[in-house]
Amino acid sequence: MKRLFPGFFVLLLTVTFASCSTSDSNTVTPAFRIRWAQDPDNLDPLVVSNGSAFEIANLTYCSLLKGIEGKTDFVPWLAQSFPTTQRLNDSLLLVTYQLRPEATWDNGSPVLARDVAFTLKVMNCPGLPIEMDQAMFGFIRDIRLDSTDARRFTLVCVGQSPDHVRSSGDFSILPEYVLDPQGKLRDITLPNLRQAQPAGPVVADFARRYQALQLQNHPERLPGCGPYRVSGWQKGRYLTLTRKPQWWADTLPAPPHVLQAFPEKLTYQIIPDAATATLALRRGEIDLYSLMPAAEFTRLQQSATDQQRLQFYTTDSHEFLAAGFDVRKSVLRDALTRRALSQLFDVPALIQATQQGAAVASVGLISPRVTAYYHDSLPLLDFSPVAAVELLRQAGWRRAGTGSWTRPNAQGQPEELRLGLSYRAGEPAYETAARQFSAAARGVGIAVELRPTEQSVLSRQLRAGETDMSIRTFSGNPFSYDFTPLLHSKGIGASNTTGFSLPASDQLIEQIAATDDPARKTRLLRKFQLLLHQQRPFTVLYFLRYRVAAARRLSVPVTGLKPGYEAARIRTKVSQP
Amino acid sequence: MRVLLRHTARALVAVWLTLSALFLLSRSVTDQAAFIQSTLTSNTRLDAQTNQAALTRQLLHRYGLDVPLFYVSWQTPTGWRWHGCRNQYHYWLGQLLAGDLGLSYRQGTPVRELLREALHYTLPLTLLATVGSVALALGLAVSLSYRPRFRRLMLLALHGVQSFPLFLVAVGLLLLLANPDALAWFPAFGLGLEQESGGWWQSTADLLYHLALPVLSLVIVSLPGLVVQLDGAIRQELALAYVATARSKGASRRRTLWRHVLRNALLPTLAQLTDLLPNLVAGSVVVEVLFALPGMGRLLAEAAATQDYPVLLGAVGLVAVVRLAAQWLTDVAYQLTDPRIRL
Repeated sequence: MKRLFPGFFVLLLTVTFASCSTSDSNTVTPAFRIRWAQDPDNLDPLVVSNGSAFEIANLTYCSLLKGIEGKTDFVPWLAQSFPTTQRLNDSLLLVTYQLRPEATWDNGSPVLARDVAFTLKVMNCPGLPIEMDQAMFGFIRDIRLDSTDARRFTLVCVGQSPDHVRSSGDFSILPEYVLDPQGKLRDITLPNLRQAQPAGPVVADFARRYQALQLQNHPERLPGCGPYRVSGWQKGRYLTLTRKPQWWADTLPAPPHVLQAFPEKLTYQIIPDAATATLALRRGEIDLYSLMPAAEFTRLQQSATDQQRLQFYTTDSHEFLAAGFDVRKSVLRDALTRRALSQLFDVPALIQATQQGAAVASVGLISPRVTAYYHDSLPLLDFSPVAAVELLRQAGWRRAGTGSWTRPNAQGQPEELRLGLSYRAGEPAYETAARQFSAAARGVGIAVELRPTEQSVLSRQLRAGETDMSIRTFSGNPFSYDFTPLLHSKGIGASNTTGFSLPASDQLIEQIAATDDPARKTRLLRKFQLLLHQQRPFTVLYFLRYRVAAARRLSVPVTGLKPGYEAARIRTKVSQP
Repeated sequence: MRVLLRHTARALVAVWLTLSALFLLSRSVTDQAAFIQSTLTSNTRLDAQTNQAALTRQLLHRYGLDVPLFYVSWQTPTGWRWHGCRNQYHYWLGQLLAGDLGLSYRQGTPVRELLREALHYTLPLTLLATVGSVALALGLAVSLSYRPRFRRLMLLALHGVQSFPLFLVAVGLLLLLANPDALAWFPAFGLGLEQESGGWWQSTADLLYHLALPVLSLVIVSLPGLVVQLDGAIRQELALAYVATARSKGASRRRTLWRHVLRNALLPTLAQLTDLLPNLVAGSVVVEVLFALPGMGRLLAEAAATQDYPVLLGAVGLVAVVRLAAQWLTDVAYQLTDPRIRL
């Protein structure tokens, strides 16, 4: 046995050095390597369930339209131009698209209106995992193909809001020639397919064939008309995209922003742990690390050696941290109490403690970077326990001899101002905000019980109205300003976890969602921000900044939308002579 | 033969009871719609007008969660209610008997396939760690009995190491041996940047190179317990009369230790070793997350975090089955090592 150990170590050392020599030769491959924290899990285009899968869908398929942050709007992608619309009656909207004539599938056949019709039929095909697609695009009730132009079609949509026009072009177009080469679904209309229960033999046969492809694990079996194809996927380890040698947009003399795809190969390395990902970046094993934790990012920025090999980008996001109040709770029923409690958040200190100073305070739920809509006349949140005490007095609270605050409730019984503060366990930013608030509240005589809670339990508690206060992040985007889920009375019991609703706010939300006129939208949004500032169903603490660190040789276009970069537009910098 | 049959039957009943308890507990104490809600919440593309309640009902139906959990349920106003065979437990048991562990909610892939893929990564890691730990423990414990002065120092060091949590050891190794600011001898993560094409020798070498730090972390953490226990047992055996008898008959110290003392001293260690068996398939969450290895530990942790019940149940069930098998193995090993033992 004694002789076995040296033998074992000799073997280990031998293979170690053998591997070292092979590994070095691998580091010179020209592919860009990007860190992902999470695997896409499922690459069936009907089931895009997380950010990684969404990123792959956007690189392998094309939609009719695509949201571009810089334009704060959707722009034509597979469509030749922004669609024209026509109101059919009080509830229907006709959205007419024209497809790009250059767009082709991998077999060289053109992308036609019948492919769009086919995609809509797949998204409504019984027996397939279409629930989410129906929820997102169920408002598209029919498609009318133009008999004179194979690339022109009209979508019949229920609902006439501007968001519906944009959403009507936001789904990946699938190739009919791969999934239904004999065109068996062509004779079935979309309304018939939606109503057919149970599915007819043709539809059932198609669903069986679709399921047999196992697209969730084999995305390569359904090539889209995007610039990349999945050339390798080891679940939980890496996913590789290879650029098509002859992509149809390459024939355009000056491809627009959305049709640019520079990297020949993109490899996504799945590294769940942030510290390991940082080491991998510093060792050159990955080239790009997005959404980096603030402390790691600052540390690398301050390191002389890392400054030489890495480049650092930050960009304002549309994601914000907020403290929500359940306005159905007796102690939180009035705006004055909610405003008083908001005064106990020291936002600048919080930004420093959790984001190393790299976050942006805001007066409300519109990012200050959206200057057109941001209400810059409202004051930022001021940390002031003195003002909080004064507001509590105005709200009818009186301080008892014990130091706590009491007032009569709706039944005339005395109630004490005592709160539970819920947040997702294990998230340092939430923990810090909660502790800071708790300490400030204790200082003015308000007892706060901190309740770090597991995500699914917290989600259930929020929906059921079982929390008093909560701290969490909300994601937005610069394309849509429909606050119905978050703050309309229709959202209560689902996403409106504060339970807030007023006739005036419901009306404003509906007006904002219905208008496409920028000037009117600005007026309405400012009015809405003012109303929220006074009512405080929740208090926005700060908007996050996305941090991206990348190898110095790369030029990375960053964006305030997740994942924080545009992978298709990453380029190697031209070296200076 | 009858004893073997009785043991096997008892083990099968234990497996069924364990899996049933896991199934019923995991689904009864958690909100079955929680994973659907988290999916809906994280999907920013969902239309504002979406009827989330209807969508949740549809998704619950897709995953078979819209039927009662068990044959009977208790409802406060009406008391016990019989649901017949149309219940989640009945469907699950039928599938299980047919060898089907169901589909993952997240990935839409058969759970059996996911477990197989995860074991493909976990087994090399845990087997290497177990073999390394056991071999080192045997060698160290035996060699300590030769060197009393070195023994004291080594035991002190081992007790110190035993107090380190796995996370600390793994991060320490990573920062020490995969850090461009210290020694960048080993890779920081994974099993190679991409699928390497090469012969088995190349693949094995690459695997060992990438697994060096994860394996070392596990060995460092499990070694002290094994050595301290085995050393104590050896010390106890060395004081017995049969050792003096063997030496007086001319057996060398080495032969006495390896042929006589170790065999007796190994008895309590056997229980420890079979305790390690479930860890072979359970993997290590800490090491797999830190070194980006998509093994069983990570699969379990991610399934738990996302309420992916079929995967959770499949993975925990596998670990439970291996634990029962390990206990059965311990019984057999005891009887083989010491025929006087009767269970």
